[in-house]
Order: sequence, then C-alpha cells, then structure tokens
Amino acid sequence: MPINRISAPNVREIDKVQITPAVCSTIASGVEIYSVNDPNVEVLKIEFVFDAGARLQPAPYVASATNTLLVEGTTHYTSKELAEHLDFYGAYLQNRSGNDDATLTLFCLPKHLESCLPLVVDILSHASYSEEEIKTQKENAVQRLLVNESKTSYLARRSFFEAVFGNKNPYGAPVYQHDIKNISRETLVSFYEMHYRRKLKYIMASGSVGIGVIDKITDVLSTFGRHNQSIFEYAPPQERAQKIEIHKGGSVQSTIRIGRKLFNRNHPDFRKMQLLNLILGGYFGSRLMSNIREEKGLTYGIYSALESYLYDGVFYIETDINNELVDLGVSEIYKELERLRNIAVGEEELNTAKNYMLGSFLRSLDGVFEQASRQRILIDYGLSAEYYNEFIEIIKNTTSLSLQEMANKYLKHEDLYEVVAGK
Amino acid sequence: MFGGSVNIPDYDDALQKAGGENNAFTSNDITNYYLTLPQQNIETGFWLESDRMLSLNFNEHSLDVQRNVVIEEFKERYLNQPYGDIWLKLLPLAYKVHPYSWPTIGKEISHIESATLDDVKDFFFSFYAPNNAILVVAGNINLEQTKAFCQKWFADIPTREVRKPSYGQEPKQTAARFQGIEADVPLHAIVKAYHMPARMENGYYEADLLSDMLGSGRSAILYQELVKKQRLFSELDCYISGDVDRGLFIIEGKLMKNITHEQANKEIEKTLQWALENIAEKELQKVKNKTETNIRFNEISVLNRAMKLAYCEMLGDIEIANKEVEHYLAVNLNTLKAAGTDMLKPENCSTLFYINKNAN
Repeated sequence: MPINRISAPNVREIDKVQITPAVCSTIASGVEIYSVNDPNVEVLKIEFVFDAGARLQPAPYVASATNTLLVEGTTHYTSKELAEHLDFYGAYLQNRSGNDDATLTLFCLPKHLESCLPLVVDILSHASYSEEEIKTQKENAVQRLLVNESKTSYLARRSFFEAVFGNKNPYGAPVYQHDIKNISRETLVSFYEMHYRRKLKYIMASGSVGIGVIDKITDVLSTFGRHNQSIFEYAPPQERAQKIEIHKGGSVQSTIRIGRKLFNRNHPDFRKMQLLNLILGGYFGSRLMSNIREEKGLTYGIYSALESYLYDGVFYIETDINNELVDLGVSEIYKELERLRNIAVGEEELNTAKNYMLGSFLRSLDGVFEQASRQRILIDYGLSAEYYNEFIEIIKNTTSLSLQEMANKYLKHEDLYEVVAGK
Repeated sequence: MFGGSVNIPDYDDALQKAGGENNAFTSNDITNYYLTLPQQNIETGFWLESDRMLSLNFNEHSLDVQRNVVIEEFKERYLNQPYGDIWLKLLPLAYKVHPYSWPTIGKEISHIESATLDDVKDFFFSFYAPNNAILVVAGNINLEQTKAFCQKWFADIPTREVRKPSYGQEPKQTAARFQGIEADVPLHAIVKAYHMPARMENGYYEADLLSDMLGSGRSAILYQELVKKQRLFSELDCYISGDVDRGLFIIEGKLMKNITHEQANKEIEKTLQWALENIAEKELQKVKNKTETNIRFNEISVLNRAMKLAYCEMLGDIEIANKEVEHYLAVNLNTLKAAGTDMLKPENCSTLFYINKNAN
C-alpha cells in the first residue's frame, strides 16, 4: 500500500523540560562554585568568571586588553612557557571579555586538571603585563581593527551602538585606533589588581565533574576573595532616534542596521518580546526572511535580535543588501514592523513560531556545556530555577493580541535608530 | 532543496511546526543536509527528507529567487569582505587539472546567473539518489522504531543511475607558483597552499598534526617565531582543507607595516625548514594530547557525532570514527618528518601575495 506523503505525521507539543539545576558549593572566602555534572563525558570545562567587563573600565579597550594579556606571561612563566605547559596536557585556556563580565575558561581532560590548575592560579595571582607583550598586543589589535574597519557590517554595528547608548555608556563605547594606542601598562595593571588578582565572581565547572574535581579547585583557590559588589552604578542613556549614513568606497553591498535600546531579561515583557522578535526576524520562516530573502531575493540573510545585558538591552535588525536596492530594503523592513503593529499575527503563524521556539530551546540544551551556559544565565541575572519552565508556559500562553500590544509599545517607527554603511 | 518537494509545498514551514530546524552545506566532496527536531516528532523528519529525496518542486520562480539569494551570498562572502576572494584566486592557482579548482559557489557571478532549471534537475537526478546517500539518525531514539521509519518512508524510492564523472588527479607540482593581487585591503597578506595527502592516503594524519604544531594556538612554532619573536606578522594561521582527494595545507598571515612579501615568504620557508629539522618528541606528544582533547570535546554534541558518522561511512569505513584518536597517536617522529619534508617543499606550493594598493 502506498503511503500518504501529502499529510504530515502528527506533531506533539513540547511540555515541561527536565533541566538539572547547577549544584552550588562555597569556598572558604565566600566564592561560589557551581557545577553541572555529566558522568558520561570525559571532559571538563571550568569557567572562572570575573567582574571585569567593559562596564567597569576607566577608558575604552582597557577591559578587553587586560583580559587578552592575562595569558601572556606571569612573573614565573613567559607567555610561551604558559602556552607550552597547557598544550602539553592537551588543555586550552580561553579568555573572553564582554560588556558585563570577563571569563578565563580551562578546557581539559579530568586526568590533567591537577597539572593545569596551578597555572591558572599563577595567572590570577602574578600576571606580569610586560611592556613587550603589551606592545605586541597593541600592534596586533590595531591591525585587526584595520581589517574590521574595512567591513561594512563592523562599521554599521559600531556606529549603531555608539548612537543608541552614547559613547560614554559601557554598552555603547566604541573602540578607535587611538584608544588602543593610548593604553598604558599602568592602567592595565591597575585594572588587573582591582578586578582579577585573587578575586572571583563565581566559578562554573561542567562536564565530568566528580566530587574530587570541586575539592581540587577549592584547595587551590581557598584564599581568593569575592569582588566588591558596590562599585558600579549604571546610568541609562537618553534615547534620541536618528539616521546615520556611513560611506565606504568600493563596497558592493551595504549593511543596514535598524533598532533601539530595550531592556534585559529581568523585564516582565522580555519573553514576549523574544517571541515577537522570532516572528519578525528570528528564524528562517520569519517575516523579514520570507519577504526580503525568499520572496524578493534582495539578500543572503536578514535577521533581528534581542540582546540582554546585566543592566540594559537592545533590539536590532541587520542585513547586507545590494547597494542599488538599499532603499527598497529599508522600506520593506519598516513595512514589516508596521504590519506587526497594525495586524494581529494569525493563529497558524503564531503556533509555528511557538513550536519552533520551544524546539529551539530544546536544541540549546544539547550537551552538558550548553546546559551549563543556560545555568549561567540564571546565576548572572539572579533568576529562579523555575525560569525556563515559566518561559515555556509564557510562550505557550502568549496571544497574538498581546504580541500586537508589544509591537505598538516597543517597535514604534519614531523610536528606531537607522544606520546604513556602504554605498 | 529549500523550495518545496513534490508533495510538500513548504519544507521549512512544516519542519518549524514540529519544532525543528535545518541547514545544509556543500564542500568539495559532499553535500550535507541536516535537521534536528524534538524526539517525539522525529517522524516529521522522515516524511520531509524522504519526499525531497523522491523529487523536488522544480519551478522557475523558485530558481529565480534562489539565484538572486546566492548572488547576494557571493557578494557578501567573497566580494564585500577584505580578502574575501582568497579561495576564488587560490584554488585555480593550486589546481590545474582537478575539479577542486572550482569554488563550490562558482568562480564568478555569471556562473550562478546562467544556471538553468534543466541543469538543476539533471544534477538532482544524477546525484540525489538513495543509493548515493547516507542517512544517520542520532539522539534519543529507539533502534527498532528508527528502522521501521526508514522502511516506511524510504523503501519505495527507486534507486537511480548515479553518474560517476571521470576527472584526472592533480599531477605533482614541480615549480613554485606565485600570484600577486592588488586590492583594496587594509594590510598586506600572504597565503601559501601546499598539496597534501588525500584523506585515506598515508601522511594525512601527519599533515594534520603538523598544521597544529606549526600554526594553531599560542605555542605553535610559526606563531612564536614570526608573530611573537620576529614581528613580521600580526596574525598567522595554519590549517588543512582535509579533502577526500589530495587537499591543501594552508598557511596564511597578515603582514606588519613595512614588511615586504618577499621577506615574509622567505622567513616562513626558513622556519618550516628549521621546524622539520628540529621537531622533538615532546612537541609531537603535545600536539597529540591537544588533538585528543579536541576530538573528545567535539564528541559532546549529538549533531557533531552524527555528521562524523556520515562522513566516515561516505569514506567507506565507519570505523574511522571510532579509531580517529588511535590514528593520530600512531604518528611517530619519523613519519611526521617524512610527510612534512615531502609536502612543505617550495616547489609544491602556490603562494598569493595580497598587496594593499593604498600602502605607501
């Protein structure tokens, strides 16, 4: 008997998800160590988190440079020796600094943890910030910036954030060549002393985290303290929507970025906005993608996003479009926003978006490291263990009427900043 | 493949309704379509994939739109980025006979513009056949149920005559090749490509380890010597293309101000020579340890494991997936140096000099 290929097999909705909460223990000095254990894997990832993001820096680029140079030598080991020791154990150190926090992450096999930890402790106690390494790092950073500045996407992004948040705000502060050149050893050492040296915000250990693992970390970090929590006060920027054009000779496409300051995930409307954003430009079936890529073929891709920071948030749409068709692209983007404000999303589209969103949430839990990063969001934003199941409930119960309300509240034409970089 | 199949007008919409997501990529050797869905909706995946194996909804409108989209992709990735056209220039320089000289997207925009619906149909029916495909299902699944779904959805799709295009293997390169490119790029750059062993040939794992040893990570030899010590480059990377036929071993770097291409090239070659003479057991051990960690970390994701299984089966031996670590650990200093000496000769190399036309 031939099978029925026309109608779809039955689809079942996603109900609750089982997320194992992180286990928390505290070392003598009060620093918390969280862990997400999966005994079936043979690897370990340990994230050392610091209150050392750009929001705390005295001048642009300081937080990032301090973080980059962490691993470029201590008073005991040169940069090369550090790298060689870690390589010998097949371990990796990854250092990242963002707007809010900075991390130093150790990736290794559990059998090598004991050999690697002393190096991490050394880095967090005796980083040397040698003039020579600083010089090298600054020169390389200028070179990278030159490459970035020749991309329309980078220019649009930098200018958008500067316009939305202002150049004094930690989420807006752009980096220019002179910011890199002006960095001095003194500034870096003092940022290190204040935000890294023998201090931690918390630790997240994930992977094969047996009991011995936490003990080993606790042993070597027993004298590390917690950051002083009271040093940062956030001043939100004034909003002043504007249009910016950046001319870049020789470009064959222009980058368009349209958006505004919004709020972070602690805001009661955040999850509804996540769903609205998904419908607008958050997946392949989104309105922007269907209209501007699939129907008109103006671009290879267009998307919209919500970004959440500890003290603020942002919404934007981005795409690269053929120079001659930029005006059409921009007006179609505004048309789609207007449609969201004026007409309620249909039932079928809403259900597809909800199912996709919940499926995509399940995918974001693939593997123990992904689970740990979901737990870090709860820690960073002070959210309860129920947050994700609440998220599922909220998404399921959001109506098209409330989405339309969101669009009218937060996606008004007159509130949007518009940047075009290219032609 | 994204414009609807013979019985299902909108693939993406149907998949998204089931909470699923999909994507695809084409490399020199394979095209990989992958989708992930909540396990309770796995049959939706079988329904969708079997229908587009059966046949597509070929139509001019869909092709028109996709052609425009791919033209914009070509501009975004290859033309509107500094150094974006490296592969467009490098492949034809390195390959004179083998079809790897073709970037998968085409050499120029007109190649995309002139693709017809007949070309697309012909390609589909010549290669998209059940007897030319490998299906991997991974995750929280039940083996018996999975077999039943395969039977139900794929069994009645007829096998097709799969075309086996014949093409020549790339002859041994006997003289160094150079090409200068003046472009609107912010920094001078060098890209060097050496022919390397094929995926199943002796020397493949050696070449991979060498690329790590020379150019991946902060303790790598080229990085330490040329970025940190001599300050000729601000960045320098080394990696392999890892193709089924003979692929490329790539070194690419951006030059510091006032360094000439000739000087930089000479120092790369000198450092390679030095490395091949002086690599010691400890360095080999180090890079083996790193590779083992890498492989273990990659295996955490179900999607990565599924892709690796499919690739190894395509190579003809699914066991490679389980034995990868062993293969890397079996490399010794002699085989490493022999493979390196054979591969990293100047006459086996194609070099691009990217010239910042605004310099000076």
